[in-house]
Amino acid sequence: ATDTDNSSKMLKYRCSGCIAVGISLNSRNFSKLLHSCPYQCDRHKVIVEAEDRYKSELRKSLICNKKILLTPRRRQRLSNES
Amino acid sequence: MFQGQCGWFSSSVSRDLRQFWVAEGGTISDPRAADFLFSCDASHPDTLRIYQSLDYIEDNATVFHACYLSAVAKAEMKNSVALGHFILPPACLQQHDEV
Ligand SMILES: [Zn+2]
Repeated sequence: ATDTDNSSKMLKYRCSGCIAVGISLNSRNFSKLLHSCPYQCDRHKVIVEAEDRYKSELRKSLICNKKILLTPRRRQRLSNES
Repeated sequence: MFQGQCGWFSSSVSRDLRQFWVAEGGTISDPRAADFLFSCDASHPDTLRIYQSLDYIEDNATVFHACYLSAVAKAEMKNSVALGHFILPPACLQQHDEV
């Protein structure tokens, strides 16, 4: 698509990440705003998809870390009980 | 413009931009309490810590490039700058953004 196609599409679909201005937006609510926007522009769609992939990887590794952390403690508790 | 807003600044952000934030009424706080997270370098250790935080994983923390502040400083209508154009994703994702 050409540049003019992209910009007219952007106006038509009004990506929340692009049109939102002013102080009501911040680091705390921006991600939720983008996720709830049904008309993400190409650029924001790419960012959201990449960040979501990264976050789910991180979530998985956090769960693994927790298991590793919990295991020795449980082992200790068991040996105290006996 | 930033009256009543708390901001966290990575040490990769220049002093000028920090001073602009304060001059516009913003305050500076730690990353957990801040409404705005600003960095100029996604691979800086203090910014990496944000990307690994629970807030970030749970979609409660978006890091913005501090260029936003210089764009606001230059803009005639300070309210007209779209914050959304200054998202700073983790460094490992950034090659994908250059579409
Ligand atoms: Zn957009």
